[in-house]
Amino acid sequence: MGEIIVVTSGKGGVGKTTSTANIGTGLATLGHKVALIDTDIGLRNLDVVLGLENRIVFDIVDVVNGSCRLRQALIRDKRLEGLHLLPAAQTKDKTAVNPDQMRELCAELKKEFDYVIIDCPAGIEQGFRNAIAGAEKAVVVTTPEVSAVRDADRIIGLLEAADLREPKLIINRIRPKMVRQGEMMSIEDIIDILAVDLLGIIPEDEMIVITTNRGEAVVLDQNSRSGQAYRNIVRRILGEDVPIINLDEEDGFFKKLKRIIGIK
Amino acid sequence: MANSYIISGFGQGSQADLEDLLDENTILVQRTLRSGQSIHYNGNVVVLGDINPGAEIAATGNIIVMGALRGVVHAGAGGDENAVVMAFHLQPTQLRIANHITRPPDNEAVDPNHPEMARIKDGVVTIESFQTGGERQGKVT
Ligand SMILES: Nc1ncnc2c1ncn2[C@@H]1O[C@H](COP(=O)(O)OP(=O)(O)OP(=O)(O)O)[C@@H](O)[C@H]1O
Ligand SMILES: [Mg+2]
Repeated sequence: MGEIIVVTSGKGGVGKTTSTANIGTGLATLGHKVALIDTDIGLRNLDVVLGLENRIVFDIVDVVNGSCRLRQALIRDKRLEGLHLLPAAQTKDKTAVNPDQMRELCAELKKEFDYVIIDCPAGIEQGFRNAIAGAEKAVVVTTPEVSAVRDADRIIGLLEAADLREPKLIINRIRPKMVRQGEMMSIEDIIDILAVDLLGIIPEDEMIVITTNRGEAVVLDQNSRSGQAYRNIVRRILGEDVPIINLDEEDGFFKKLKRIIGIK
Repeated sequence: MANSYIISGFGQGSQADLEDLLDENTILVQRTLRSGQSIHYNGNVVVLGDINPGAEIAATGNIIVMGALRGVVHAGAGGDENAVVMAFHLQPTQLRIANHITRPPDNEAVDPNHPEMARIKDGVVTIESFQTGGERQGKVT
């Protein structure tokens, strides 16, 4: 029996789809059977990010309508044996699925997969309610911006009200230099308000844009900092105790240089 | 007079375990209020937690926050000019007492690291540091 995790945020564009794709890919590389569900009906993205768009025949609405069987709609990843995607419908809207149908769908997938990861749409309306309906755990994504943190706080309140307690937080698009200069909210500032456990921090990284445009996941890129950050998140989800990377340390060409020439 | 209170944003069935009626006039809220959550109460409200930005409390009596107050509060919402607001970190988005509305000055990030109390003094909302054990303590009842 698997675990069902929803990835949500409130605010749009903060990295839910990127995180869903990378966490799912990362879990699959370690041999786990993973199903990703795109619940952003009408604005589907996850298929594109994973480079699977051209394989879609059926989608989530077809499944809940009974137009096809679940197995027919699940798309196998091109590289990873254990990774599967249930795509959103593009020509319908959020009302094409209801929370009861989602619960049923999740229960079905849970029997066969180790991890079911749900990519939630932005907002707090029906798309959000659908996405969380079948979930057992929640990951909240935010960026270090006041508005994104405010929305994350709202979402955490709504998750608690729906009995999804103790969500875990991902802070995405951190720019260590700006934080150092006091121009960006720090991790501490954010945790101070949200008061939830940190699952990981992802730096701002152009490799995310590059890999996403190629339909690949940055988690597979061994050289990038964001890939490393996602690999750490995956290990934490698996229960390992991995320290949060200190982005300052990683930043440090100058630091290295200083160490070499002996300045502390 | 019967006390009425409306608590919203917490989902269903969560009211009973969230706060206990301390006495006829005061409720104790043992949790943090997150953005979008609100409490409207006919009496005093004591919060053991934070009031986050985007959260709101309105009370006809006093409001005491044993944590950071970053949202909007309205004490003396029925017009009581003697109502006070007390918080361990008083950093409200907006603070109202009776018919007075104040907000922190723009461009001035204040982070008081000690308890403070807001009340109406000579017709204006004033904020003073709140010393436990000091003479002013007796004011908050
Ligand atoms: N750490 C990062 N560094 C650089 N770019 C990033 C980072 N994280 C996300 N992005 C980019 O930001 C954009 C939005 O990301 P994504 O689609 O994952 O957000 P989302 O929360 O799913 O958005 P929506 O609410 O529209 O579904 C994408 O173009 C993505 O490539
Ligand atoms: Mg998305």
